Amino acid sequence: MSGATAPPSAAGPREPVAEPTGGERLRRQLRQSRPRRFWDRPHPQLAQLKRTWYFFSRNGLALAGLVIVLFFAVAFVYGLTYSASPTQLQEYCLTEGLAPPGNCYIGFPTVCTYPAGTAPPSPSGCYATPATYPAFVAPTVRVSPAQFGPLPFGSLATSGSTQYVYNLYAGLVKGTVWSLTMSVSIVGAGAVLGLVIGCVAGYYGGLTDEVLMRLTDIFLSVPAILLVIVVVIAASNLGVSGFSNRILLVIGAFTVTWWPLYARIVRGQVLVTREQKFVEAARASGARGGRVIRRHILPNSLYPVFVQMSLDVGTVPLLIASIVFIGFTTILPTHLPEWGSIAAVSTESLPSILSTCAIGSCVVPWWQILFPGLALFLFAISVNFVADGLRDALDPRLRR
Amino acid sequence: MQMWVYIVRRVLLVVPVVIGVMTILFLMINTIAVPERIESFYPPSHSGVQPWDPTEPCKNNTNLNCPNPLYHQAEVALGLNKPVPVQWALYMYNSLTFRWGYTNNASSVANLYPSLRDQPVTEVLAWFLPYTIELATLALLLTIVIALPLGRLSAVYRNRPIDHSSRLMSFSGYALPTFLLGSLALYGAVVLLSPTGHSPICPGQPALNDFWGSWPPAHCATLLGSNLNSFGYPPWLINGFQSTPTGFPTIDAAYHGQWLLALDTLLRMLLPALVIAYGTVAVLLRYVRNSMLEVMNLDFVRTARANGLDEGVVVRRHAGRNSMNVTITVMGLTFAGFIGGFPVIEEVFNLWGVGRILALSLQETNGGFDFGLIFGSTLLFTFLIVAANIIVDILYAYLDPRVRLQ
Repeated sequence: MSGATAPPSAAGPREPVAEPTGGERLRRQLRQSRPRRFWDRPHPQLAQLKRTWYFFSRNGLALAGLVIVLFFAVAFVYGLTYSASPTQLQEYCLTEGLAPPGNCYIGFPTVCTYPAGTAPPSPSGCYATPATYPAFVAPTVRVSPAQFGPLPFGSLATSGSTQYVYNLYAGLVKGTVWSLTMSVSIVGAGAVLGLVIGCVAGYYGGLTDEVLMRLTDIFLSVPAILLVIVVVIAASNLGVSGFSNRILLVIGAFTVTWWPLYARIVRGQVLVTREQKFVEAARASGARGGRVIRRHILPNSLYPVFVQMSLDVGTVPLLIASIVFIGFTTILPTHLPEWGSIAAVSTESLPSILSTCAIGSCVVPWWQILFPGLALFLFAISVNFVADGLRDALDPRLRR
Repeated sequence: MQMWVYIVRRVLLVVPVVIGVMTILFLMINTIAVPERIESFYPPSHSGVQPWDPTEPCKNNTNLNCPNPLYHQAEVALGLNKPVPVQWALYMYNSLTFRWGYTNNASSVANLYPSLRDQPVTEVLAWFLPYTIELATLALLLTIVIALPLGRLSAVYRNRPIDHSSRLMSFSGYALPTFLLGSLALYGAVVLLSPTGHSPICPGQPALNDFWGSWPPAHCATLLGSNLNSFGYPPWLINGFQSTPTGFPTIDAAYHGQWLLALDTLLRMLLPALVIAYGTVAVLLRYVRNSMLEVMNLDFVRTARANGLDEGVVVRRHAGRNSMNVTITVMGLTFAGFIGGFPVIEEVFNLWGVGRILALSLQETNGGFDFGLIFGSTLLFTFLIVAANIIVDILYAYLDPRVRLQ
């Protein structure tokens, strides 16, 4: 008894161990090979990534796009740390003594022009209803023809004599955060929804496919702008209010319009993937629908989705800008700095400036349009370059 | 399969889509509170219910001490007292028979343009739709005229300067917001064509008026002649909005013999149409180029070349036919975006089309939304897109007979 429980010590002569054969040997080999180091193991995905990077980095435009995208990423982080207090963002209201700061829109200035050498018009001169201020008053940016002065960057509003009281810099830096957050979350949510629906439709086929694709057709046949507007109006009617709720509402409304595109792309991809041998093999070894989709079909249908996502991330701020431009300013919560809305509202004020004064005698506040417009344009075009480079790098047929 | 069988099948496929879109719109309309719905879709001239005074205690009809009999009457007339499925059926029936409600009595549109007050929504949209159709036709023509040759050129001269510049154009078309591009074009044109700031056509008018706005500037004797109605417009422009007899302003001006005015109206469309075309060309160009590149390497093209055909003929006849198919398919896919750009472009250029009416009805400041017009124009745009998709599919089946067999 005791001999059997005694640990095998070095004292005893070593018993000859029979070399295992067959399955046992294979299993042992597998077990031994497991603790190999990371870099010893083969990593087909990593190799693929390296190859993709190689082809991507040979494309000059794509690299330039990547650099600009990285710049925006840095600006995003800077914007997060940038402490723009509400007072700093709304200092024009304080200096003008117009209305309590709570009643100011960020990025929704109206522009008043007045001739050189004369006193600025009274604040009420810029409003249609001077007697009482409505709940949300658009702040006034005064442009004097005599003072085509410094750009309205930084806190110029601290000196009372400065005419440019709208702090564009603060608006743009904070706008980076909001624009990027909104567009990335919209595109991400739309892509996830589209992936799920597209995979289910493509894999199961038949009636499921028919119903889901008709649903996609329905959403695709309403213009995106209109669908977003209608959804936002409906949700506001149902009582969605408050800062964060309204941002969530915008994201949700865009997601409603965004998923059908992805669903279509994914379905097309899944219809091809579904017929391939490895899917057949997975099914032959007993995998059910959910597992086949998750483990085999989904990873192989992702690339076109990534490319489309990177294209769309640049489009979302443009769409928001369009919606604000046609006058649906209620889509964004008040006090929300966002590139598109700053550009749109500044552009909107152009005809009223130009039609009230002859050309040459008044100053067009071009910086209000140029800088937010440049942010929109650079972001969209750089993301486009990256997407194009990605597509070229991922699709062997397009490699040059 | 016979062509007409294909057409019938294609049209039948549209039915679920139309039902679905209208159901979504119905659900959205159902979120509007009852007083607002009565205000929006059932105006005083038809119901006798006056616009709600905010100080009126009976506004929401919750106060039992002052029940408003007209309110109940309106509720019954709109079918708001019926169960939701019945309301849905009623909405479908009314929408399909073009009873889209009335424009508001006190919304921002009504306050700005009193002649649009209390009118049937379909009628108001019908006043402005012809202008949008003219603009869309012009923009489509420009798109095809620009995109097809440019796409073919950039495929033939692949990786040469012409290819690079057209690709750059395609990128910038994606990335520039329409309103910025439009404003740039508008003010650039104003400054370029009249440095003094005065209109070369209408003395005494600012040059902006030559490009901004669809109707001729009031009291421009050169264009309008002396026979003007009380709005300062030619008498065939009723209310300043409604053009007679066809409704299409350019055609009507020509019909009434005012050639200068017709030309002016057409020229005013050119710039916005170019801006719209720029954005659409950006999308189209890439597809035309890619499809041409694919086809140029196929056997039948090589055969054509080997037979000694002229290279121009090969590009136009053999490879080019394929790019035509692609153009039509992509136009069908992007038509929703194409139409969705109209509110913006009409707002930039102050053009009186359906998009501008939609933009006006969305203004919350000066009186509030006009729900009738918002939902009416959404429905209209959807119908336009669905119709365009049918036409595109039929054209595609005509061009590529293989499609009919599926």
